[in-house]
Amino acid sequence: MKKLAIGCGILVVLGVIALLVIGIAGGSYNRLVRLQQEVNKQWAQVQNVYQRRADLVPNLVATVSGAANFEKSTLTEITAARASVGQVKVDPNNAPTDPAKLAEFDRAQSQLSGALSRLLVVVERYPDLKATQNFQDLQAQLEGTENRISVERRNFNEAVQKYDTAIKSFPAVFYAGMFGFKERPYFTSTPGAETPPKVQFDFGKPAASPTPEKQ
Amino acid sequence: MNSFRPKSPSWERRRLAGKFLLLRRCNTPARRRRSQGTHGFGVPALAGLTNLTSALSGSRWLALLFGLAFLVCQCLAAAAAEQIPPVPEHYFNDYAHVVSGSTSGRLNKTLEDFERETSNQILVAIYTKMESDSSIEDYTVRVAQSWRVGQKAKNNGAVLFVFVQDRKMFLQVAYGLEGALPDVVAKRIIENEIKPRFKNGDYDGGLSAGVAAILAATKGEYKGTGGTVGDQGQGGGASAGVVFLIFAVVLIALLLMAARRRSYGYGGWTMGSGGILGGGWGGGGGGGGGWGSGGGGGGGGFSAGGGSFGGGGAGGSW
Repeated sequence: MKKLAIGCGILVVLGVIALLVIGIAGGSYNRLVRLQQEVNKQWAQVQNVYQRRADLVPNLVATVSGAANFEKSTLTEITAARASVGQVKVDPNNAPTDPAKLAEFDRAQSQLSGALSRLLVVVERYPDLKATQNFQDLQAQLEGTENRISVERRNFNEAVQKYDTAIKSFPAVFYAGMFGFKERPYFTSTPGAETPPKVQFDFGKPAASPTPEKQ
Repeated sequence: MNSFRPKSPSWERRRLAGKFLLLRRCNTPARRRRSQGTHGFGVPALAGLTNLTSALSGSRWLALLFGLAFLVCQCLAAAAAEQIPPVPEHYFNDYAHVVSGSTSGRLNKTLEDFERETSNQILVAIYTKMESDSSIEDYTVRVAQSWRVGQKAKNNGAVLFVFVQDRKMFLQVAYGLEGALPDVVAKRIIENEIKPRFKNGDYDGGLSAGVAAILAATKGEYKGTGGTVGDQGQGGGASAGVVFLIFAVVLIALLLMAARRRSYGYGGWTMGSGGILGGGWGGGGGGGGGWGSGGGGGGGGFSAGGGSFGGGGAGGSW
């Protein structure tokens, strides 16, 4: 009789422990799901703002190429960069799990960034073009888009950091891999981004310019 | 002295490396310097060096102290390098004192009424200078996001930042107003309405025209509730306090009853614990009341609704 009571007691204790473990694990699992959703949501936002920029490019090219004898090399560069951005196929709804994929995406986008900022430098040489309302509007949109890109990239990185921390923390670290929670890569700043771009005022000497110019 | 001197170029380099290293900079050099100080005295390998400088050991300590003080100052300065200002108390906030009192009061009233009418939260914040090494668009979007201007579900906020000494301004537009106030419109408001007047030193005129243009652009987008978040916060805070108070009173009564009933069976111990618990909850109830009245004090001024910013808007300098 006494043995039975002890047995029951042990069973109850084990049951309580099992329930506790399930409860904690369940809560932590739900948290991982939420964080993963957040990462994917932010990734969609990143895609969104990059798409917005890509959509601006044809308009920008059309406006600029209308200006009298505008440099063709800059425009070709932008069009090529825009095309290569479109070739990088990434899932817009799920953040990439492969760091190489994200790096490829980032490289294509930063090429377009570079081409666009070079265009804005070249435009300085065309005061008539710069003064048109159309170009000024485009410039405002482009600047706004670049701001949005930096904000959404930062938000994405923060979401990924939270998620990565969560899957590597106790107790999730034991089962995160089992349920398919993989570590997500985040944006690293592009090489050379820590040094501000050189501003070249002397346009009379194309040889000294950091940008390749074919006139 | 010499034992840690060779390190100094690397500090310099790190100092140039940017603001993201500021925190680390605050920690490591101080720690390194301190540990090197003690090693210099203790480790036999450096005995020769210690002998050389033994005559100067007093001044060495002094130098160490000065160094530490300098580092502390540097850390404080680094912390001061970027400041996210607290949430403003009004809609129109002239911290630089460049706008006349009457204009400031009038615009504040206009913006408050605008929130009642449309639920859009439009803020103006005029500072003397920007407390950051970052770019204005990066800094102001983070400030606006930390303030959470705009209603939570609608994200319908906008903040016009003006930095008088830097002669720069930026209109940050939250997600929900990007449609009504796209970058192009924001840019035109800055370039055509505000900038020409600021150039003439007419801050009153520039801000009046700018605010009017922002309101005109964002007017039809959302419908207001007739109140501001500040008004609702007043009511909500008080009612939450009352609910909490009632809850606490009921709980105390239940606990006391339970304690009394059990105390007949088990003796003084449960009675004591019931008394302690009751006292604790009573204190909690008092705190709830205080929180409610605190919410009431915020009424009439600006209270943020919880909006989010994504970098929309435009800036300019004059």
